[in-house]
Amino acid sequence: MVSSRRKSTQSTAIRAKFRAYLIIAARLALVVLVLGATSLSARAADSALSQLDQQCLACHSAKGLEMKLANGDVLPLQVQGAVFSKSVHSKIGCAVCHANTSFENHPPVKTKIAGSREYSLEMNKVCESCHAPMFKLYEGSVHATLLREGNSWAPVCTDCHSPHAVMAKAAYETSTGAPCSKCHDPIFNAYAGSVHGQATLACSNCHRAHDVSPATTGNQLKSACLGCHQDAQASHQKWLPNAKRHFEAVSCAACHSPAAKRKVDLRLYDNVAQQSVAEKAGVPQFESRARLADAKGKGLDAMALHSLLREFNREGIDNKTTLRGRLEVSTGVEAHQLTRSTQAIRDCAKCHQQGAEPFQSVTVSIVGPDGRPVRYGAQPEVLNSIISVDSLGGFYAIGGTRIKLLDWLLALAVLGGIGAPLGHMTVRWLFKRYAKKISGKEDS
Amino acid sequence: MQRIYVHPLPVRIWHWINAFGFVAMIVTGFQIRYIGLIDLMSFRTAVVVHEWIGFVLIGNFFIWLIFYLFTDKIRVYHPELNPMKHFRASFRQAMFYGYGIFKGDPNPHHVSVYEKFNSMQSMSYQVIMLLLVPLQFWTGVLLWDVQRFSGMIDVLGGVRVVDTAHVLIFIFFSGFIFMHIYLATLGHTRMAHIKSMITGYEEIEEEHGGGK
Repeated sequence: MVSSRRKSTQSTAIRAKFRAYLIIAARLALVVLVLGATSLSARAADSALSQLDQQCLACHSAKGLEMKLANGDVLPLQVQGAVFSKSVHSKIGCAVCHANTSFENHPPVKTKIAGSREYSLEMNKVCESCHAPMFKLYEGSVHATLLREGNSWAPVCTDCHSPHAVMAKAAYETSTGAPCSKCHDPIFNAYAGSVHGQATLACSNCHRAHDVSPATTGNQLKSACLGCHQDAQASHQKWLPNAKRHFEAVSCAACHSPAAKRKVDLRLYDNVAQQSVAEKAGVPQFESRARLADAKGKGLDAMALHSLLREFNREGIDNKTTLRGRLEVSTGVEAHQLTRSTQAIRDCAKCHQQGAEPFQSVTVSIVGPDGRPVRYGAQPEVLNSIISVDSLGGFYAIGGTRIKLLDWLLALAVLGGIGAPLGHMTVRWLFKRYAKKISGKEDS
Repeated sequence: MQRIYVHPLPVRIWHWINAFGFVAMIVTGFQIRYIGLIDLMSFRTAVVVHEWIGFVLIGNFFIWLIFYLFTDKIRVYHPELNPMKHFRASFRQAMFYGYGIFKGDPNPHHVSVYEKFNSMQSMSYQVIMLLLVPLQFWTGVLLWDVQRFSGMIDVLGGVRVVDTAHVLIFIFFSGFIFMHIYLATLGHTRMAHIKSMITGYEEIEEEHGGGK
């Protein structure tokens, strides 16, 4: 009997010990599992990269790895594996873009790289093979035009999309994610404080990302404003006389960036072809002609502007070159300081008054071969002179750009209209007095 | 004194709407062009009033046109086509206003139902009613909505050309309105012609043949 009781006590103790070990083992297993899982995921990040990529990174993750180029530039060769694995290109790996490299010919000693910028420009050609439509959009942009003109620092794909850290589209669509500030720093800072910047709208919302066109030629920016502010025309028509005309002749920023300095740009326009006059590449006539007409070098006066316009009209009987005036803000920085509509300019006298500030600064412009405007200064008097009726027939702001001669004529007409009757009345009165005198003398 | 009914009711209505309308147009026109020099009302108010009264006057013009086109009174506007006759009559009238009136000479023109205008008036009113007023309305409408009428405005040379024409006619009417009111006081009494534009009846002095 005693042995069976000892046996049962012994078995309970053994079972308890077994349970304790089981619990410890389970905990240990859990720890191992968790550790293993995290290390797995870490390696999953790396192992999201193919074995080939990992082989590249075996050397190229080394800090300080670099190469001296022909022109003395130093090309950094380190690639951050973790960053690359998070990028959208991690799925395609190194070999797709660096197709000219293999383990056999690596490093490609036969390939002479002239400089780091030249290398970037060369590598950017690869992007087209997968991103053909986007590349085509880019080729039509002012950035691409500047590159073709010979400015090797004009932005290419990798300037905005860091080559080994390319993100998904959404990352670039906030103002903080936009790479534009790398080159357009002052504008970006002005923009960040504006009502749009504070709403973190990206630059590409208005300027488009890949087919960026010059801001001050064409209508795409106005279309961008109206694209979001669809009721703008209707709401302006409620209180603004000639609202549609204002939308044509005045840029949005001119009233909606109240602190900006405003100016008038007179753009050469072909009335027959119904488009802005553009200079052909290699035939830069505008500046030379303007300089010729501007004898004193102080900016085109009314006569000079008139003769410049005639120069452009001499080219053919068919084209009729005119000037289309537009009221805009002076700088790109100011154009981005858009405020809430409650702070916009509503006072007509801001422009429609003699000596108004916007009409003290005038330029004449033509669309250059790269799509950007080429401007030449003109004197403010071109807006008020009598000659403007011929040369500037299409641009007029009541009161603000009025012709002074007409003011003198009006003064003459009113003074004459009042003076002649007064004079006539006076003479009649004098004659009556004289007649009275005569008849008085006759009576006596 | 003989009373002749020379101003039918439509003519009188048309005249006074025009009178006050044109004064309002000139005043608001001044305010629009010369902010900074005068401050009777805001630019926007001046533009709105100018546009409304402008359209009223255009409608009013048609009262005048329809009345004269469809009645025999159109004869008062018939131009004197014989240049010698016209020149002689105008010269005589000018001599009266420039000299004879001071001496107390009688007015060489005799008002009648179908010849209520003297030759200077007749010429002026034809130019005004058939050329200047329609031009002013036309340029005014073009300026009212520059974008809508941009095609026609471009054909004319641009908005500045249209505005210059509008302002030139504005200059003319600014001078004219003073002259017109003064000349209206040169009847046999100061208020004679003004009264006749209210009652319709012009009082004519008897001919020298009868009476003393």
